[in-house]
Amino acid sequence: MSKSSSVAIILSFARQGEDDAICQAVDWVREEFPDAHLAAFGTPVSAPVFLSLGIGDVMVLGGERGTRDVLREAKARRPRVAAIIYSGPGTGGHLKLEMLALSVPARHIYRVVPGEAVCTASRARLALAVVGKILQTGPCLIVAGLACGVAWVWLRLAQLLTGDGRARRT
Amino acid sequence: MRATLIIANYNGRELLTRSVPAVLEAARRAGDHTVVVADDGSTDDSVCYLATSFPDVRVLAFPHRGFGETCNAAVAAATTEAAVLLNSDVTVSPDFLTPLIEGLSTSDVFAAGCKFLNPDGSLTGTLGNRTSCQWLRGMLQVRHETDPSRLTETCPQLYANGGAMAVSRERWLSLGGFDPLYRPFYWEDTDIGYRAWGRGWRVLYEPGSVVFHDQGSTVKRFHERRYVELMSARNAVLFTWKNLLDPLLFRRTLAAQARWAGDDVLIGGLPPRTGALLAALRRLPEAARARRREQRERVVSDVEILATCGVAP
Repeated sequence: MSKSSSVAIILSFARQGEDDAICQAVDWVREEFPDAHLAAFGTPVSAPVFLSLGIGDVMVLGGERGTRDVLREAKARRPRVAAIIYSGPGTGGHLKLEMLALSVPARHIYRVVPGEAVCTASRARLALAVVGKILQTGPCLIVAGLACGVAWVWLRLAQLLTGDGRARRT
Repeated sequence: MRATLIIANYNGRELLTRSVPAVLEAARRAGDHTVVVADDGSTDDSVCYLATSFPDVRVLAFPHRGFGETCNAAVAAATTEAAVLLNSDVTVSPDFLTPLIEGLSTSDVFAAGCKFLNPDGSLTGTLGNRTSCQWLRGMLQVRHETDPSRLTETCPQLYANGGAMAVSRERWLSLGGFDPLYRPFYWEDTDIGYRAWGRGWRVLYEPGSVVFHDQGSTVKRFHERRYVELMSARNAVLFTWKNLLDPLLFRRTLAAQARWAGDDVLIGGLPPRTGALLAALRRLPEAARARRREQRERVVSDVEILATCGVAP
């Protein structure tokens, strides 16, 4: 591909202690696509890190604007490159970021895993991973729902058996 | 007011070389106070080291039973009106003690917490300063203030960080101390602070009492990161199961916790949330007993407690 005058978008949910992963990704994208305009898609936590690395074009998820607005902005930039930053070993989780990477018209998608070489992910392969993870979410939610249901019944019964659940002083 | 300064130690021989001399100096400057090391069954030479290097320090050597229960036993053994709990990874400033225990002299105060700084004196990422909480996606989340301009005045806070806090011993005993529900570690200080507010007592933040905290240098030295994260996430769940007595808040929180598990896949890299819920479920009977106790003793509602911390549920 032509590596000039394109937009590269970097996606991260970075939390505390993941600054190094962002630096690694930004350095790599700058090296591979030296003429690309860099934009970032982050959170209120990762935004200051991107800004400190000289990326002024940061779209923040979880800030004042809704997810749809931020997604619309990301699409409007028509990035040709997307780099997803994973927070730990492997490519588990990060379903939201992968869906975002698929929803923008990036031809080249890269996975940046801390401590590992950056690898390419075709759109088809990433789409398969997304489907797999969506299927995985179902059982997680069912198990968690059951756990919370059991807890609610048990604890409310215990509370009702003890008496009024409200504080004595209002 | 006289105080017993209790340093909780577990295999922290190296940390004691820094913390004990600083605590002794602070106790000497503030007057007639006692310094005690509560040893949680250390297998290093902490106890021998203390006996030879600091003969004036009383050592309470307990079998290994975790941070919370070690603190409970040490406070029970104290005879002073106030107890000051200190982690072995905390280094106190020379004049930290007087402002800290002064706050306890007010009749309705249960505890006072210190101003925590990183060992280099910075505030970045510090935990335990002017604690409050917020509702985030239906979940109660604890906040720690890091803006220096908001850390200049004595003020109420949700809880005092167990790394360095002074408590009224009488009220501590009345509350039953740290709840073993949270063993082996984390959230026991948040819990006791919340319960104190529930009894109508206050918890203060005292910025004049400065300590330096090498955060988690004990816990993270002995446990895998994933295990520490799991315990923290599990205990966050147990905290709400035990303490949120308001039916509406409780229902909303449980609904949020059920959705929360989806984040394992949606976001990833977080503490394992489905695992945390299942681990909490194993302690459900214990949480129910603690909830019943709390219900009997509570005089201030959840909404009132949260309002104190600036939270509109």
